[in-house]
Amino acid sequence: MKPFRELLISSAREHGHLCPGQVVGVRMAMLGCRLIGLDEPTSHEQIKKLLVFIEMDRCTADAVAHVTGVKLGRRSLKFVDYGIMAATFVHLQTQKAFRILSTEEARDLVPFYAPDVQGNPGQQLEAYQRMPDSVLFRVQEVQVPLTPYDLPGPTSRKIACERCGQVIRDHREVEVDGVTLCKPCANGSYFKDPRETTWENMNWSPSMDEPGEDRVSRKIRQSRELPQIGIPHRKGSEEGIQRAALERAANVV
Amino acid sequence: MKKIKLQDAVGTKLAHDITEVRPGQFKGPAFRKDHVVCDEDLCHLQRLGKNHLYILEMAEDEYHENQAAAILAGAIAGDGVLWKDEPREGKINLFAGRDGLVRVDTAALAAFNMVDDVMCATLHNHTLVKEGELVAGTRAIPLVVKKAVIERAAAIARQNGPLLSIQPLHSVKVGLIITGNEVYHGVIEDRFVPILTRKVEALGSSVHCVDFAPDNAEEISRVIRGQLQKQCDLLLLSGGMSVDPDDVTRHGIRLAGAGEFHYGAAVLPGAMFLVAYLGDVPLLGVPACGLYHRTTVLDLVLPRVLAGERIGKKDLAFLGHGGLCRDCKPCTFPQCGFGKGN
Repeated sequence: MKPFRELLISSAREHGHLCPGQVVGVRMAMLGCRLIGLDEPTSHEQIKKLLVFIEMDRCTADAVAHVTGVKLGRRSLKFVDYGIMAATFVHLQTQKAFRILSTEEARDLVPFYAPDVQGNPGQQLEAYQRMPDSVLFRVQEVQVPLTPYDLPGPTSRKIACERCGQVIRDHREVEVDGVTLCKPCANGSYFKDPRETTWENMNWSPSMDEPGEDRVSRKIRQSRELPQIGIPHRKGSEEGIQRAALERAANVV
Repeated sequence: MKKIKLQDAVGTKLAHDITEVRPGQFKGPAFRKDHVVCDEDLCHLQRLGKNHLYILEMAEDEYHENQAAAILAGAIAGDGVLWKDEPREGKINLFAGRDGLVRVDTAALAAFNMVDDVMCATLHNHTLVKEGELVAGTRAIPLVVKKAVIERAAAIARQNGPLLSIQPLHSVKVGLIITGNEVYHGVIEDRFVPILTRKVEALGSSVHCVDFAPDNAEEISRVIRGQLQKQCDLLLLSGGMSVDPDDVTRHGIRLAGAGEFHYGAAVLPGAMFLVAYLGDVPLLGVPACGLYHRTTVLDLVLPRVLAGERIGKKDLAFLGHGGLCRDCKPCTFPQCGFGKGN
């Protein structure tokens, strides 16, 4: 693993700023990987051996993800919205798992560890780098039951909600009185009052000329002999001759 | 652990020491752990307010308070600190194994005490103690405590080496330089030499040279270099520390080549104190308040210097908390709060 300082600098750059949460997160990730026996978690050999459960969506979470290389979309990062400053590191082969909690008393101990630094966040930043792991964290050895549907890899199960019809992947459906439902239908959701709607430029796609330009807008532009950029044409074809004329017109304009 | 009624406890072993307090007379264990309760004990135990007793049933991942105290004491005790694995009422005391200065890693101590279910109380950092004096006590709080908690607390206590030690004072050759025209030319009688000599000898060192110098920076500088050539390990300079135009002692110290120089201390009396270093030789500039007050900044700093500590700006600044002498009559220093704040 890279040295702490190097990890801290790159993590802060990616996160957007250097803050005490970055120090805690980088150290949490270094400790977690060490405990489960991974010394290069972002390497090709180790990246698929690691799963991390993060229990808070704070600066520390970004640092843990950066150091370990885990990602939501690769299914190696699991966000569990507990609001707790903790993360669990799981070695998928050995099944070793350690939950690392940031101690609240570390905050109170900041003046003891950096009495020569005034003001926050400077004092906190310095103190969190001076405190040993034994003061900054508590560690629990845990078991993390996983199913095949929790693991990285292609989707292996899809089923439709019997109420709204939405397809649910990865066995995230729930059964209520024998009826298969998606979680919003079964338990309620973070959003309210969903109403289907239309939106402007509904037919845009990336293959179009310009962002936001649909086929109708393109025809209008073409009729005004406005320039097109970067569209290849066959030499000598009627289409090509027309295009060349348009481009010459554009150069005059 | 199982709780049983007192009358059902005959024949069982006590799970812990039972404390008795008779105000003004006695505080201590009336009964020791593992004592087998007999009929004759019941009345005494009732007088102590015991209507129930515990039967000890410990899980594999737990320590008894006595085991925990021994582990904690072992982690806390550093060089010069002695303790015995003989807990009383769950507590182990730690003692000075030699004369010297108590040194406490205050950050580690604070972190240790933030761990639930353990505690350690020590004397203040930099307290001068004699061999055999009590310097700390530690214990687990509950009767039975999780092993992981004790082991984590022990690790925290050891984070920078054990958090408590006794630093011996070195016996050094001290040079005294008394500055001031009035003393140099015999206008007044010097009183600093006997005062400083007493302080130096009380700390186990000896005065090797005594020189007088006028209020002249070059002359002071020459005297300083002369005492260094005579192998003095520590120089105390008195007089000329204030703000008058004739107060040039600090200029003389600079002229002598002092590399590190800190003028001013957050202590009253003694704000005009000076600490400088010529190589590794400390030079302490003692202000005139040392002639009037029994206890000044010198009494706080000199033991630390003799214990080998290199005093810097931060150390003089941090003396501020607890740095105000209350000028008690009679003076009870060091049995007071003066200099105990850091």
